[in-house]
Formats: sequence, structure tokens, C-alpha cells
Amino acid sequence: MKIEAKTVTRGIAEGEAIISHMPISFMMGIDPDTGIIREPGHELEGQSVAGKILVFPMVKGSATGAWRYYIAFKRGNAPKGIINIKAEAAAAVSAVITETPMVHEPKDDPLEWIDNGDYVIINADQGFIEIEKKQK
Amino acid sequence: MLLTKREKEMLEGKHGRGPQKSMEILVTVGECYNAEKMIPITSVHIAGNYTVMRDEGIQWLEDFAQDGTRVSVYTTKHPEMFDFEDYQELNVPEIYQQAQKRIDKAIRSLGIVPTYSCHHFLVGNVPRFGEHIAWSASAAAVYANSVIGARSNQDGDHVALAAAVTGVIPEWGMHLTENRRAQVLVETEGLNFQEFTTADYQAMAWHAGKVIGENIPVFTNLPNNIAIQNVRGMLYTFPITAFAATGAVGVVHLVGITPEAPTLEAAFGGAVKPLDTLSITQRDVDRAYNEISSSSEDKVDLVIFGCPQCSIQEVQEIAGLLEGKKVHPTTELWICTSNWVKTLSKRMGIATVIRDAGGRIVADIGAADGPHLYLRERGIRVVATNSARGNYHMHGLFDLDTLFGSTQECVKTAVSGRWEGKK
Repeated sequence: MKIEAKTVTRGIAEGEAIISHMPISFMMGIDPDTGIIREPGHELEGQSVAGKILVFPMVKGSATGAWRYYIAFKRGNAPKGIINIKAEAAAAVSAVITETPMVHEPKDDPLEWIDNGDYVIINADQGFIEIEKKQK
Repeated sequence: MLLTKREKEMLEGKHGRGPQKSMEILVTVGECYNAEKMIPITSVHIAGNYTVMRDEGIQWLEDFAQDGTRVSVYTTKHPEMFDFEDYQELNVPEIYQQAQKRIDKAIRSLGIVPTYSCHHFLVGNVPRFGEHIAWSASAAAVYANSVIGARSNQDGDHVALAAAVTGVIPEWGMHLTENRRAQVLVETEGLNFQEFTTADYQAMAWHAGKVIGENIPVFTNLPNNIAIQNVRGMLYTFPITAFAATGAVGVVHLVGITPEAPTLEAAFGGAVKPLDTLSITQRDVDRAYNEISSSSEDKVDLVIFGCPQCSIQEVQEIAGLLEGKKVHPTTELWICTSNWVKTLSKRMGIATVIRDAGGRIVADIGAADGPHLYLRERGIRVVATNSARGNYHMHGLFDLDTLFGSTQECVKTAVSGRWEGKK
């Protein structure tokens, strides 16, 4: 399964997907020491995004979140790649300063196609996402 | 995006590493928002501080400042953790001393003016009506859009730094006239503004922001003689409860105050009718107080003023309330401000009044942020302040128990050691 998407930052990243239907705050959300989402009541509360391909609609909250994302990255706890429905400044800046491959505005809604644990490739050089379903 | 020859050269690295990195950031963000081009800016303010940057962020800033990278636009800096003049007295732990000194060195090397102030618009960073600017402090950007009529998005620090170095920013959001028009009409006929304290104005804005969300509001009947600290109180509270989802919107039209809104029609951009109308009652304002305070504790460890930093008028008001009284021995009173207001306070003798009462004026810090990194370690847990925004941040960032009330109630609290505001 292949979905076309617009490049935010170039590069290729692949790995296990973690998906969220809810927006994520980089400022209040991700714990830089573990990569675990801490926001109370969040759909990913208690789960780690470290080393994963993170698929979610968009970043919410303060643009200051880019510093927090950078700290998580330097401590080895950031995602490997980002797929957004709609990128905004905090996510885009986070991806640029950490050289994390990122795409947005996919032609098909990836949240309809990707499950947690699927193997996902982001090819941000050519502008597509490839999905290999997890063995049931 | 369409780039000029000079912008392209920057992106290709012909002007050095700093401008190249800056242009990469700006083009990436601009393309996300389908910006057509870059536009020149005239003023930048950097909000980032150690609370959000940590050692990794300082390292990023130091790397960015390498190779002689300099800002090309007038740029000021937000408060940090301690007063550069009095930090020995404050017993600031070594790790924070080192961190602030590293940040100071990096921003000076970039050519940023070391104001350490969040009322930068009182210390010389004053854009004019219609100018494009990049102020990376969400509340200050709302103030600039709404009171000065300059145009700023709620940019993050990296975008603001990149704009400061290159002198340009992508044209999107608040930079475009069509995105600045009012959408929701706010009616306040039921409120008696003549009796309102600055805290009441903030409570009103807290409620309005929650209901309005990401829409742009217009207030029509604020008093003609409304004091500027009341306007500022409202505008600094708004971004806490409104605009929270995207952080992208940032103008509040105040008819008769906002340069783009001399009339209600102008606020709506012509004949457009409001999407919605919101009517605020005194009950809404009273209820907001309960939501803003995060604590119901009685014994208060610290009363702190200055989110944003106190103007000289506010320091005078606090000194007037404190005169001849003593701060309770187990409660501290801090007044956070810029170095220039502290200097004025000394010159006017009000610094002595505050010191004699047992209070302290601290420059270069804001009330809701930096100092709590070490005050928390020192056992400060219950904090009272006259800022709704301050309450929200102290509770959210430092897990403090916070109480919100008027300036008068907060000073009374400092003297009795017990909460004297609404319960």
C-alpha cells in the first residue's frame, strides 16, 4: 500500500508505526527522558513514541514545543519519522532542526490504513508513504 | 515558494551557515502554510529560556551562533531565571547560574539586545501600525496585533531567530489582512466595568477565550478610559484558553483601541456579519476565578507579581499598598520586572519602601517561569499572584498550587501570610 504525500523535510525513515487520532502537544505531551506521552487523557498516554514512525493529525499547543522535541531527540527519545495530516510550524521546525523525515497532506487518510505496529516507510525525498501490514 | 535572488543565495549557503539554516527553517514553515513569498520584518522578540531550552537547547543556540551569525533586525530577549545584579543574594544553584551565563553569551554574540524583559514594548522594541514582526511570545504577539496593529504570528523561537537573521518571514496567518477580521461579537453590557479590577478583566478574558476558541473576537463596549494594564491583562489571558488548539490565531479586536477597528464594521472588514455572538455575565466572570486558581490552600509561601513583568505604575501601586506594613515572616513577596523599571524604582525611592516592608524587586525574570526552577527546590509550593496567565503556567510547568486575585488581595495576603482573595 502506497500513499502520496507532500514533503515537509527530506529523507527516508522506516520503522514500526504508532498512531494517534488526537493532536499531540510537543510542549506538554512528550516526556523527553522517555519519549512517553504524558498528557492526561490522551489516546497515547503512557505509550512511547521513541524510535517509531509517528502518525497523527497535527501538533497542538505552543510553538515552544520544538525545543522540547529537540531535547527528546538529543536524548534518543524522538520518533524516527513524522506523518501529519496537516503540518504546522512547531512540527515542521522540530523536523528541520532534528533532520527528521516528515510528510503531510497525504492523498489518502493514513489513519484509515495504518494500525499500531504496521511497518511504515516514509520516503520524503519522493513524497510517499509505504505500508506493510503487521502479520496477524 | 517564490524566493528572491538574495533569499535563494541564503538557502544555498552563500551567506554562511546561520543564514542557510535560517532560510531552511523559514522555507519549510512557509511551504506548510502555502505562503507565496517572504516579507521583510522590522522587529523580533525571542521568548525561549532555560525552562524550555535546557542544556540541549543552549547547545543548539551556541551552534547557531557560530561562524559569526548575527541578527539583521532589532531583536530583544525574554526574561531568564535570576537578576544579573543580585543573584548572589538569591542563592541560585550553580547549574542555573552557568546555564543563564551561557545563554547570555550566545544571544550577545548573535547581536540580540539583552533586555531580559517580557514588556519589551516598554523598553524600546516598539513596532508601528501595519509593520510585520516576529514575536515569539504568544501573549505579546496578541498585544502587538491588537493594540499596536503590527502583524505577528505566534512564532516559535526558531522561526523568530531565523527571521531575525534573514530579515524576512513567510507571508501567512496574521500577516495577511483577510485572516485578521473579527468573527465573534462579544457583548459585555451586563458588566459594571467601573468596579472592575485588573483581575476581573483577566477573568472575563479567561471565560471569553474558552467559549470563542479559535475564532477572532471583537469587544465593542469597553470603557473609553480603560487603563492599559487592564487591556494588557485581557490580552495576555486570552491565549491561555483561546487559540489553544493550533496556536496560530492571535488578534483580539477592541473597538476604539485596535488600530484596525475604529468601528465595529471595520473590525469585521466591511459588511460581514458575525458568525456568532457571545454575551458575558458577572456570573461567568465569578466562575472563571474558581477555574484559574488551582489551589484552595490557605497558607501562602510566596506572593509574586510580574507576569508579564510589572510596569513602573504597577510597582508604584504595590509599594503604595505595602507602605508602613511588613510582609509576613513565613511568606515571601517578589516583584518581577525589567532592569530599567528596577532602576527607576530605586531612583524614585519606592524600591526602599518595598525593601523596608520585606519585599524584593527582582529584575531579568518573569513571575511565572525561570525562578521557580530553584524556588520549588527551596520548598515554595503555594503561590499567589495577580496574573491568570501566571497561575496557569506556574501550575502547568512547575506543578505549584496557585491562587489568583487582585493586586490588593495579593498584597494583603503577603502581609497576613494567608490567602485574602476569593475562595
